[in-house]
Amino acid sequence: MNDQLSKVLNKQKKQISEPEKVVDDVVQLVGFIIGNEEYAIPILSIQEIIKPIEYTRVPQVPDYVLGVFNLRGDVIPLIDLRKKFNLESEKQSEDTRYIVLKGEENIAGFVIDRLTEAIRIKRDRIDPPPETIHSDSGMIYGVGKRDDSMLTILKVEALLKRDF
Amino acid sequence: MDDMQEIMEDFLVEAFELIEQIDQDLVELENNPEDLELLNRIFRVAHTVKGSSSFLNFDVLTKLTHHMEDVLNKARKGELKIEPKIMDVVLESIDMMKELLEAIRDNGNDTDIGMDIEDICTRLDAISKGEDLEEVAVESKEEPKVEVQESQEEQKNDAQEEEIDYSSLSDDEVEAEIERLLKERKEEDKKRKESKKKQNSGEKKVEPKAESKPEPKKEVKKAPAPKKVAKKAPVKKQATSTIEQTIRVEVKRLDHLMNLIGELVLGKNRLLKIYDDVEERYEGEKFLEELNQVVSSVSLVTTDLQIAVMKTRMLPVAKVFNKFPRMVRDLSRELGKSIELKITGEETELDKSIVEEIGDPLVHIIRNSCDHGIEDGESRLLKGKMETGTIELKAYHEGNNIVIEIVDDGKGLDPDMLRHKSLEKGIITEREADTMSDKEAYNLIFKPGFSTAATVTNVSGRGVGMDVVKTNIEKLNGIIDVDSNIDKGTIIKLKIPLTLAIIQALLVGVQEEFYAVPLASVLETVRIPLEEIYTIEGKNVLRLRDEVLSLVRLSDIFGVDRVFDNSEHAYVVVIGLAESKLGVIVDTLVGQEEIVIKSMGDYLKGIDGIAGATIRGDGRVTLIVDVAALMDLAKNINVDIKAEGSSEQRVKEKPSDYFVLVVDDSQMDRNIMKKAMNPMGISVVEATNGQEALNIIKSGDYSFDAILIDIEMPRMDGYTLAGEIRKYSKYKNLPLIAVTSRTSKSDRLRGVESGMSEYITKPYSSEYLESVVRKNIKLLAE
Repeated sequence: MNDQLSKVLNKQKKQISEPEKVVDDVVQLVGFIIGNEEYAIPILSIQEIIKPIEYTRVPQVPDYVLGVFNLRGDVIPLIDLRKKFNLESEKQSEDTRYIVLKGEENIAGFVIDRLTEAIRIKRDRIDPPPETIHSDSGMIYGVGKRDDSMLTILKVEALLKRDF
Repeated sequence: MDDMQEIMEDFLVEAFELIEQIDQDLVELENNPEDLELLNRIFRVAHTVKGSSSFLNFDVLTKLTHHMEDVLNKARKGELKIEPKIMDVVLESIDMMKELLEAIRDNGNDTDIGMDIEDICTRLDAISKGEDLEEVAVESKEEPKVEVQESQEEQKNDAQEEEIDYSSLSDDEVEAEIERLLKERKEEDKKRKESKKKQNSGEKKVEPKAESKPEPKKEVKKAPAPKKVAKKAPVKKQATSTIEQTIRVEVKRLDHLMNLIGELVLGKNRLLKIYDDVEERYEGEKFLEELNQVVSSVSLVTTDLQIAVMKTRMLPVAKVFNKFPRMVRDLSRELGKSIELKITGEETELDKSIVEEIGDPLVHIIRNSCDHGIEDGESRLLKGKMETGTIELKAYHEGNNIVIEIVDDGKGLDPDMLRHKSLEKGIITEREADTMSDKEAYNLIFKPGFSTAATVTNVSGRGVGMDVVKTNIEKLNGIIDVDSNIDKGTIIKLKIPLTLAIIQALLVGVQEEFYAVPLASVLETVRIPLEEIYTIEGKNVLRLRDEVLSLVRLSDIFGVDRVFDNSEHAYVVVIGLAESKLGVIVDTLVGQEEIVIKSMGDYLKGIDGIAGATIRGDGRVTLIVDVAALMDLAKNINVDIKAEGSSEQRVKEKPSDYFVLVVDDSQMDRNIMKKAMNPMGISVVEATNGQEALNIIKSGDYSFDAILIDIEMPRMDGYTLAGEIRKYSKYKNLPLIAVTSRTSKSDRLRGVESGMSEYITKPYSSEYLESVVRKNIKLLAE
C-alpha cells in the first residue's frame, strides 16, 4: 500500500516537474527590426505592442527620449531605439510600432521599425554577448543563434534604466 | 488577543489626541492659574492616561502619570499654586509622557527605551509635598542613577511597589478608581460602537488587575503596535468635545478615492472638450440642448464630488497651531522676553498632506520672530511699546488658497542692514545691493547661509531656518510675502493652495507645444509690445508698474523649436513663488483648466522644470511646469528676446531655396500652376488633397514660403486646410493663396475667414499667378 502510494506520488511529481523543464529550456521572444538588424525581447516583459500614437515632447532630456504618451490614462515615456543605438533616425512608417515594456519599477514605450515574429529559441542556443562589444554591452543579454541568422537579445532592465 | 490589540490602538489614538490638547491648556493655565475648569481638564488627561496605561500594564508610564496626577490634584483642590517653576516641571513630565507614548506606539511597550523617570518623579513628589524645588533638584542629582536600564523584571517590581503604594493610600480611593476606570472604558467603548462582547471582556480584565498583578503583559508586547494608528488619528475630528457621528477611515482609502476622482475629472474635461467640438459641428440641432444638460450636470456633480472628497481630507490648521503656544512660552522663558501669542482662524481647514508640511516652516518663522523680531522688555519700553511683545498667528481662506500670516510687533527688518550683511557674506554683489528695492532686501532673509543674528544661539542664527521655510513652501507651490516696518514689526504671509492632487492651471502655448502653469503661482498675465522690453546686463527686463521684472521666453528654457514669429506683442505670464517673481513669455494663452497631476514614472522623474504631466480633454499629455525649477533655469538663460526676431530667418540665396506647395486634386491644374511658376526657378512640391498637404506640412521636411490651395478637393477642402494650417503659430504668416473657380463674394469671404491671404480666380494668366506668388514670397524679379 505504502509502496503503491509513493509510486503514485512520484509519478505525479514527475508530471509536475517535467513540463517545467521543457519551459525552462525554451525562451520565448518577440523579434523586431531596428535599422538593419534583428533584435528580440523576452515576451514576458512586454506589456503590449501598439501602433504609434501622438506623444508630447519633454524638455531637458537626451534626444532618444522622444517624450511621453497617454496609454489609457497613464503617462508613459517614449524612447526611440534608433537614436539610442546611434542610428540615423527615420520617419515613422506604416510598420512602426511602440513596444511597451514593463520592468519591476519602470514602464516605457520603445519605438521600433517593424515587428518580425514570435520566436522560440532554446536556451543553449543563446551565447553571452561577445566581449569586444563594450559601448552598449550592458544593454545586450545575449546573442541567439538561429539556422540562418543571428539575433541580438536585449536586456529589458537595462533598457528601462534611466541613464541620464 | 484581538481585543487587547484593539483596546491598545484605541488607547494610543486617544492618548495622542488628549496630549495635543493638554499643551495648549497648560500654557493657558499659566496665565490663569485659578481657572478650575482648565485644571480639571488637565487633571483628567493625566488621570485617563494613567488609568488606561495601568490597565495595559505600561508601568513606567503609569508611574509617571501617577506622580503628575498627584501634583495636578493638589492644584485642583487649591492646595498648590501653579508657578512658572512648577509649570516647567509639569511640562517636562508631559514631554516624557509623550516620549513614552511614542515608544509604545513604535515598540509596543514603554520599557525598551529605558527612560529614567526617577528624577522627574522625585521632583513632582517634592512639588506635591510643597518642598522647595531647587533643593530637591540638587538632591536628586546626587542620587546615583538608579534603575536606568534595568531589566524588565525589576521595573516590574518597581511598578508593583508603586501599585502597593497606590492602593495603600486608601481602599476607598482604589475602589473609586476602579469604578471610574470601568466607567470610562464603557463610555469610550460605547462611543466607538464596539460590540457588547468586547466591553465585557474589557471589564473582566480590569477587575483582577487592580488587586493582584497577573501578567497579560506578554500579550500586549506581542501585539505589534501598528504605526498606522498614529496616521489614522488625525482623520478623526475632535469628537471628544461634540458628540459627532464619525468613523475612522484609513488615509490610504481616501487617497485611493482621490485618485479615482482625479480620473473622473479628466473624463469630465474630455467630455467638455467633445461637447465643444460637437456644438461647433451641429449648431442649432435639437439634441445639443439635451447633451448640454447632461454635460453640465455631470461636470457639476464631478466638481461637487471632488470638493466633498477633498473635504474629507481636510484638517483644521489647529492641528499645527496647537503646538505653538507651548513653543512660544518656552522660548520666551529661555530668551528672557515677554511674548504673547495670539492665534486666530485655527479652525481653517487644509488638506492633510499640506498640514503635515507647513509645521516646520511655521516653527522656524515663529522662532525667528521670537528671537530676532521681538525685543527684550527694556528696549521695548524705551521705544514706547508695551513691555509684552505680541506675535499673531492668523489663518484664513482667500479663494483657492489658504493664507497664514505671522505678524510680530518687534523691531522689524532693516533693509539697509540686510543689504550690508548679505554683501558681507558674499550672497549678493555690490551692484545688486544698490539696485535692490526694500522689498527685495527683505527677501534676503530666505537666502541660505544668511543670518542677522550676531551670535548663534540655541534658538536660531545658523542661517538655515528661513531657507527651510522657502524650500518647504515652494514644495507646496506656495508664495511667501514679507513686509516690514522698522520698530513697527514684520508681517510674513504664506499663501498655500488648498490641495495638491488636483490643481487649477493656466494653459499656455509655446509654438506648437502646450504647458500647464499652476495657477497658484500665476500672479497675472499681461500683453506687452516688444518695445517695452529693455535689456540690462544682457538680461531682458520689463517695467511693470513700479517693479522691474526679469523676462524669459518659455521656449528658450524648454528648448522649443523656434519658428520665426514676427508678432509685435508678447504675452507675459508673471509667475511668483515664495518671494521671487519672473515674467515668462509665451505665444498664446489657452485658458484656465482643472488638471490632475500625474507622475511620469521613475524613468522621467526629477526633470528640471517639469513637475509632472496631466492628460487633457483631447487625450493628449500636457506637461506641468515646475515653477521653482523654472526660476532657477531662467537664471542661466541669456537670450536677447528682441534681437533674435530677425536673425532667426533662414537665408535664401537662390530662387530654388524657396519652396511652394501646390495643393490641387487635378493633375492638369497642378501642371498649369507649375508651369506658371517655372520662370521663377523656385522649388515646387505637390499634394493632391488637403489631408495629404497637411501631412506634408506637419512632417517638417520642407519649410514652405507659400501654399497654393484649390478649394474643391476630396478628403479635406481648401478652407479646412487653411484653417488647420493657421492653427500652428509658426504658420500664422505663411502666405496661403486660394486658386479657385469659385468667385462669389461669400466664397471670398469664407476664404478670408479661414485664413487665406490671397484669392486667385480661375481662369488666370500665368503672369498673374507668377506675380502674386512672387509678391507673397518676396522674391524680386531679376
